[in-house]
Amino acid sequence: MAIWRYVVTVPRASTTSDVFNAVGDVNRRAILDVLLTGEKAVGSIVGEVSMSQPQVSRHLRVLGDVGLVRCRAEGRRRLYRLQPERLQPLRDWVTTYERAINDRLDRIEDYLDELQRQGDDP
Amino acid sequence: MTPQRHGSAVITFPNELEVVITREFDAPIALVFEVLTKPEHVTRWGATPPDEMTECSIDLRVGGEYRSSFVTGDGAVFAFSGTYLEVEPPLRTVETWHFNCWPDVEAVETMELQEHDGVTTFTWSLAFSDKAGRDHMTAFDGQQDSLDEVEDILRSLLDVNRA
Repeated sequence: MAIWRYVVTVPRASTTSDVFNAVGDVNRRAILDVLLTGEKAVGSIVGEVSMSQPQVSRHLRVLGDVGLVRCRAEGRRRLYRLQPERLQPLRDWVTTYERAINDRLDRIEDYLDELQRQGDDP
Repeated sequence: MTPQRHGSAVITFPNELEVVITREFDAPIALVFEVLTKPEHVTRWGATPPDEMTECSIDLRVGGEYRSSFVTGDGAVFAFSGTYLEVEPPLRTVETWHFNCWPDVEAVETMELQEHDGVTTFTWSLAFSDKAGRDHMTAFDGQQDSLDEVEDILRSLLDVNRA
């Protein structure tokens, strides 16, 4: 039906090395979940996900490249921390999607109001 | 009168195959049903300029077909079509759903209306026959992960950010 015209043609976010790609992987999302509870070293991340240390390190590098995770050294340890504000492009995309749907339904509402106002006229 | 419900649509992804949109309207169920299923009404709200709705036919009976086409400002054509499987005015219609740009995708659309105290609740769902179909709607440029998972993590991360 007509509502879908604007929903299915919401522009796709372009992805290759950006934040969309980074969170598009279920393992990287698992790492982000772990980091939600606070700053962690690779060793403790490995303890909470079903991945090897080299896998976790590789994913952390991808997350670091797009700025979602920041790393700092503390003595000999390297600690990883979330940078959630870097998810803003994702949020913008979701907002665009919601707006496309709402625009359609708001138009239907306006039209219904118009019809009902006409119906009220003597 | 200023519309009170702008922007209030609720969009959910209840499982891997479905997209469901819910919205309330301050209008009687019979009128909402007409506005959604009669071409003379659909053509009034269906397109936003510079888009034009170039075709809108609705044969509202089981086995009947519908088709709506749009031309965008830059000349692209989008067409939706299908066959009605169930028609129960003013409560419900179920129809197959085809979109010209996604020729391999099969889906069934269900529209349901309920009226309570003069407010009509409209529920519109699109159920794809396979996950690849639904991922057309939610995928990020080839990524096969769904929007709901991404949204979950997005919300939790943004909450942390605000804290």
